Amino acid sequence: MSQFEPTIVAFVCNWCTYTAADLAGTSRMIQPSNVKLIRMMCTGMVDPKYIIRALLSGADAVLVSGCHPGDCHYINGNYKARRRVKLLQEMLAQFGIDQRRLKLTWIGASEGNDFARTVAELVEEIRALGPSEARAVPAL
Amino acid sequence: MPNRIGVYVCHCGTNIAGKVDSQGVAEFASSLPGVVVSRDYKFMCSDPGQDMIIEDIKNHGVNRVVVASCSPRLHEKTFQKACARAGLNPFHFQMTCIREHVSWVTRDPVEATRKAKHLVAAAVARVHWHEDLYSRKERVHPDVMVVGGGIAGIQAALDVARSGHRVHLVERAPSIGGHMAQFDKTFPTLDCAACISTPKMVAVAQDPNIHLLTWSEVTKVEGFVGNYTVTVHKKPRYVDEERCTGCGMCLEKCPTKVVSEFEEGLTTRRAIYRNSPQSVPSFPVIDPDHCRTLTGKKCGACQKICPSGAIDYEQTAQDFELEVGSIILATGFDTLDPTPMAQYGYGRYPEVYTSLQFERMNNAVGPTGGRILMKNGQPPQSVAILHCIGSRDVNYHEYCSRVCCMYALKYDHLIKDKVGHKAKVYNFYIDLRCFGKGYEEFLRRVQEEDVTFIRGRPAEVVQEDGKLVVVAEDTLSATPVRVPVDMVVLCTAMQPRADAGETARVFGISQGQDGFFLEEHPKLGPVSTATDGIFLAGTCQAPRDIPDAVAHASGAAAQALAMAARGTVEISPTVSSIDPDICTGCRACVGLCAYSAIEFDARRGVAVVNEAMCKGCGSCAGHCPSGAARVRHFNGRQVFAELEGLLDALPPAPAAQTQASPETPAAKA
Amino acid sequence: MATIARIDIGEGGPVRAVQGFLKTLLASGGVDAVLTPAHLAPGGTVMPVLINDPKALDRADPLSPAFPLNAARLVSRLTRGSTSGRHVAAVLRPCEIRAFIELVKLNQGGLDNVLLVGVDCPGAMTNADFRAFGLEGDPLERSAEFLHAAARGEARPGGQALAGACRVCEHPAPDGADIILGLHGADLDQAIPVLGNTARGEGVLARLGLPDAPGAPGRREAVEALTARRSAARDAMFEATRERTASLAGLAEYLSGCVNCYNCRVACPVCYCKECVFLTDVFDYKPDQYLGWAHKRGAVKLPTDTVFFHLTRLAHMSTACVGCGQCSNACPNDVPVMELFRTVAERTQRAFGYQPGRSPDEAPPMTVFREDEFSEMTGEAH
Repeated sequence: MSQFEPTIVAFVCNWCTYTAADLAGTSRMIQPSNVKLIRMMCTGMVDPKYIIRALLSGADAVLVSGCHPGDCHYINGNYKARRRVKLLQEMLAQFGIDQRRLKLTWIGASEGNDFARTVAELVEEIRALGPSEARAVPAL
Repeated sequence: MPNRIGVYVCHCGTNIAGKVDSQGVAEFASSLPGVVVSRDYKFMCSDPGQDMIIEDIKNHGVNRVVVASCSPRLHEKTFQKACARAGLNPFHFQMTCIREHVSWVTRDPVEATRKAKHLVAAAVARVHWHEDLYSRKERVHPDVMVVGGGIAGIQAALDVARSGHRVHLVERAPSIGGHMAQFDKTFPTLDCAACISTPKMVAVAQDPNIHLLTWSEVTKVEGFVGNYTVTVHKKPRYVDEERCTGCGMCLEKCPTKVVSEFEEGLTTRRAIYRNSPQSVPSFPVIDPDHCRTLTGKKCGACQKICPSGAIDYEQTAQDFELEVGSIILATGFDTLDPTPMAQYGYGRYPEVYTSLQFERMNNAVGPTGGRILMKNGQPPQSVAILHCIGSRDVNYHEYCSRVCCMYALKYDHLIKDKVGHKAKVYNFYIDLRCFGKGYEEFLRRVQEEDVTFIRGRPAEVVQEDGKLVVVAEDTLSATPVRVPVDMVVLCTAMQPRADAGETARVFGISQGQDGFFLEEHPKLGPVSTATDGIFLAGTCQAPRDIPDAVAHASGAAAQALAMAARGTVEISPTVSSIDPDICTGCRACVGLCAYSAIEFDARRGVAVVNEAMCKGCGSCAGHCPSGAARVRHFNGRQVFAELEGLLDALPPAPAAQTQASPETPAAKA
Repeated sequence: MATIARIDIGEGGPVRAVQGFLKTLLASGGVDAVLTPAHLAPGGTVMPVLINDPKALDRADPLSPAFPLNAARLVSRLTRGSTSGRHVAAVLRPCEIRAFIELVKLNQGGLDNVLLVGVDCPGAMTNADFRAFGLEGDPLERSAEFLHAAARGEARPGGQALAGACRVCEHPAPDGADIILGLHGADLDQAIPVLGNTARGEGVLARLGLPDAPGAPGRREAVEALTARRSAARDAMFEATRERTASLAGLAEYLSGCVNCYNCRVACPVCYCKECVFLTDVFDYKPDQYLGWAHKRGAVKLPTDTVFFHLTRLAHMSTACVGCGQCSNACPNDVPVMELFRTVAERTQRAFGYQPGRSPDEAPPMTVFREDEFSEMTGEAH
C-alpha cells in the first residue's frame, strides 16, 4: 500500500485523554498507529511553542486533548489551552496550514471509544489532506 | 559523565510480544544515543524484571532508565521505586506505553513494532534531560478546623474531637444547629429533630477538644496542606460570654421587635435574641441594626435587667489567626426564594408557605406551638404540597434537591396526624424519588393514609372565592385539574449559599456548574477537593438529607484525621518554579494559577511559586513567554526531546548488539 | 473633550510653539520632568530625552519625523515601581501610547505618575530615511517643513517616504493620551489646539493658563480622512503580505534573510521579556541535533529556528502588536517584519475581539479565559 501515512503528535492530559487512551487499549479498540501521544499533566501546560515545533518538524497534524469543560483535574487548565490553540489556529491559517492540522478535543477518562474514534477520524482526515508542507521546507 | 541509559522492553507475556517484536524493539533501542544496555523480558514488573534493572544500575553504571511496557498510570511508581532501591533518583526514569497504546490497539504487527520503536526513541531522547528531583515532607499541624455548625459540621467536629485532636468549629450564626435546628420531625422515622440534634449540640459545647466560635466568620486562609493559617473574624455579640448565664431575662425586656430569620418570617424576635432556649451557646446576641441603644436611641433595657452585668455595648469585633493542618467545609445550603416565581403566589397569598416555614409551623417551639394553622387561627381542611419548586427546572436548578419528596411525604403524614384524617392532602409531583433506607416503606405507609398524588408540575396557584386553587395538568391521565385548597406548601429547592463563590475564593476551591463546591472526583473523591487538606461535608457539596450529610461529614473527619495522624505530608516535586533572573514580573501567571499558588514579590518584582500549593498543572508554564515559569519534569527541553524522538526517522537498525536477557535468547527470532 | 486650549504659533514656527507649551507644562503642570524627542547636537539625530531644565527644552522636537525607537519601554522604565511621588510628562506618538498601555497591563509600567501628552501623528521616517532627510539646515525648520508637507497630504513629505508602518497606520490620533496636541486639520501658521482628553489632562490643562480655543476645527475630518486613506493602504498591504506568506514555503522565503539577530524583538515595545526564551538553554543544541536534522530532512537551513522564532514571537505578542514598525526599522537585512506581524495580528486580535492599547482595563487575551467561548472548536453546541 502506498497510501500516505501521516505522523500525528497528540499532547494529551494525564487525567482524561491519556486515561481514555488506556481504556481504549484495555477495550482492544483497534486504531491506526499514526497518532503518538505525549503525556502532559494538563493541556494547560501545552506551550504554544511545542505545537509550533511539532508542526515545523514535520508532524502532519497535532492533536491537543484534555478534559471536558468543567472536568479539568486542575479546575480550568483546559480553558486556557483552548485559547492558546485558538490563537495558533488563527496564526497558522495565515501560512496555509489547514486548521484541521491542529485539533482540539475533549475526551474524558471514561470515553475510550471516543478516543479511538477521534484517532481514526483524524488519521482519515489528514490522510485526505496529504503530507504537511513542513516536510519539504528545509527551514525550522 | 555522559548518560548511560538502560532500556527495558516488556513482553507482558503475550500481551505485548504477541503483536510487538519486543526483542526487535530492544535491539533498535540499543542503537540510540546514550543507550548502554537494552533488554527485553517477559514481565518487567515482576521481581526478576525489577531486579534486572537494579542489577544494571548497580553493575553497569546505568543512570537513566526507560521501561517500555504497559501504561505508566499502572506501573510508573513500581519502576520508580525500583530505581530508588538501586540508589538512582526515581525521576531519572521514563516509561512509555506499548501495550494499551500499541499492542492492544494495532492490527498489524509490523506497524505495531514500528510505533513501539518511535515511542521508545522518544522516551530515550527525553530521559537524557531528566533531572534529580526530591519529594518534600511537610509537617501537618494536628488541629483541624470545621467551618459551619450545622449537623454536618457538628458531626465532623465531634468525630475529630473524639480522636483527641483539637477542633476549631467556626459558625457565623449566633448558635450552632443549622437548618436541622429548624425542623420538627425527620423522615422516615419521624423522630423529633431536636431530640436527636440537641444532645449533639450540647456535646459540642462540652467537648474540651472543641473550640467553638459562633458569630464568627473565616475571612482569610493562607498556607498550604498541613499548615494553614486561618483568620477568623468574630463579630461583637455585645454580650460578655464569660458573665452571661443564659437566663433569658433580657429577651423579655427588650422593647424592639424584629422579623425572625430563624422562624422564617412567621413571627418576630427581639433585638437581643437567641433562636431557641436550646441554642448552643445559650448566650443571646444583640442585633446592632435594630437595638435601640446601638442605633443611638435611648434604651438600655437589657443592661438594666441583666443580673450578671453581661451586656456590653462597647464590645468590638476581633480578628485572630488560628493554625490548622486541614479544614472541613460544612457551610450548608440556602433554600430557593420562591417570590420571583409569581405563578405560585408566594408573598402574595398569605396561605402559601415555603417548606421551611411549614417546618417551623410544625415545631413545638415554633410560632404556632407545633399546630398547623392558617393565619386566621383555623387548621386548614385541605393542603396542596407542590414538589420540585426550583428543582429539576431548567429555569432554576436542573438538579434534584433529593430531600423534597421525602419531607413532602412527612408533611402528608403530619397533616393527617395533626389536623385529622378528614383533611385533604394533594401532592403535585414529577416523580417520587424515595431511594434511601426505609424511604420506600415510608411512601407506602403515607399512601395508605389516603393522600392524593397528582403527577404534574402546577402551572399556577390562584385565589378564587377566598380559596387557593392549584391549576395543573394530571399528566398520567392528561386531564387539566383545578384543586381548591386552604393552604399551599412549596417544596423549594436546596441551592448553594448565596456567597458560595466568595467562600470558594477564600478557601481556594472551586464550584461545580450548579454552584455547589466541587469535589475532587464525583465518585471516588466526594469528600476531598482539588486543594489538598480542604475537605467537604454535607450540603455545601450537593443537596443531601440528614443521614447522608452525617455520613459525608464523618468521611471528611476521617480524611482530616488520616492526615493529622500521619503527621507529615509528601509534597510532589513535579511542580512549577519561576526563574527570578528571567521573570519580568508581568503577573500573568498569578492570574492564570487556579490555586493561588503564585505570589508576586513586589520587592524583587518577580513572581514566586509556593511549591506547597502548586499542583503542577503548568498553566503558568504554558503561558510564560520568556520560559521563566517551568514545570519540573515537564520542561521545554524534555518535551522538545520527546517530540524529536517521536518524529525522527528511524535510523537503520544495527546488527544485533543487544545484550539479551537469559530468558530470551537472541536466537529466538 | 470638554477642555480645548490653544498654543499660538508665532514667528518661531510650530516647533518653538510646542517647546513653549512644554516649558509651561514643566513650570506649572505639576510635572518634574518632560520626556520628549529632542535634537542631540550635533548631527541632527533625535532621541527621547528626559528634561528637567527648561533651557534644555529648546532642543525638544516632538514634531520631527524621526522615530529611532518606540519610547513606550522608556516610559515603562520611568513609571515602574516607586517614583517617590514625582511625575513625568511623556510626549509620545499614538503607537507609543498604545504600546505603553500594553506594558502597563503587563505590570511593566504604571499610569499613576505619568502625564501622557500625545501628538497627532502624521507618520515618521525610517532611521535611514531620516538620516537622508535631516542632516542639513535648521532642524526645527525641517520639522516644520515636513509637517506642512504632510498636512498637504504629500506622499513624500520632506522628500522622503514615510516608514512602511506609518503609511498603513490607522491610528493617527493619540486616543489614549491625557493631553492631545491636535495637529491634524490645524492651521500650522496660526495655532495648535490642545485637548484635555482625560480628567487628569483637563486638570493639568486648566492650570497652564493657555488661551481658550473654540474647538479643533477640521481635526475630526482630517483624522477620518487620514485614517481612511491609511486603512486602505493597510488592507492592500495585508493582501500583499498574505499572498507572499500563504504557504510555509512562502513564509520561509519571506524570512530567508533572517539571521537570528533578534533585533526585531529588542526593538519591539511589547516584547517585554527580560530574556528571550530563544536565548535560553532550551535552544542550546548539541552537534548531534543539527546533524540529526540534516540526516532526517536531507537539508536544514542554518541558523535554525528562524521560522520557529518568528512564529513563536507571533504567538507571544501578535495580540499586543500596535504596528509601530520598529521591528522592520531594526532589521539589518530588510526583512519586512512589520508587514508580517501586522497581517497576523489582524487575525489574532480579531479572534479575541482585542485591540491593543485601547484601554488599560482590557486584559491581554492569553491571560484570561471564559468558560463559554470557542465551543465550536471542539464541536459542542452551545
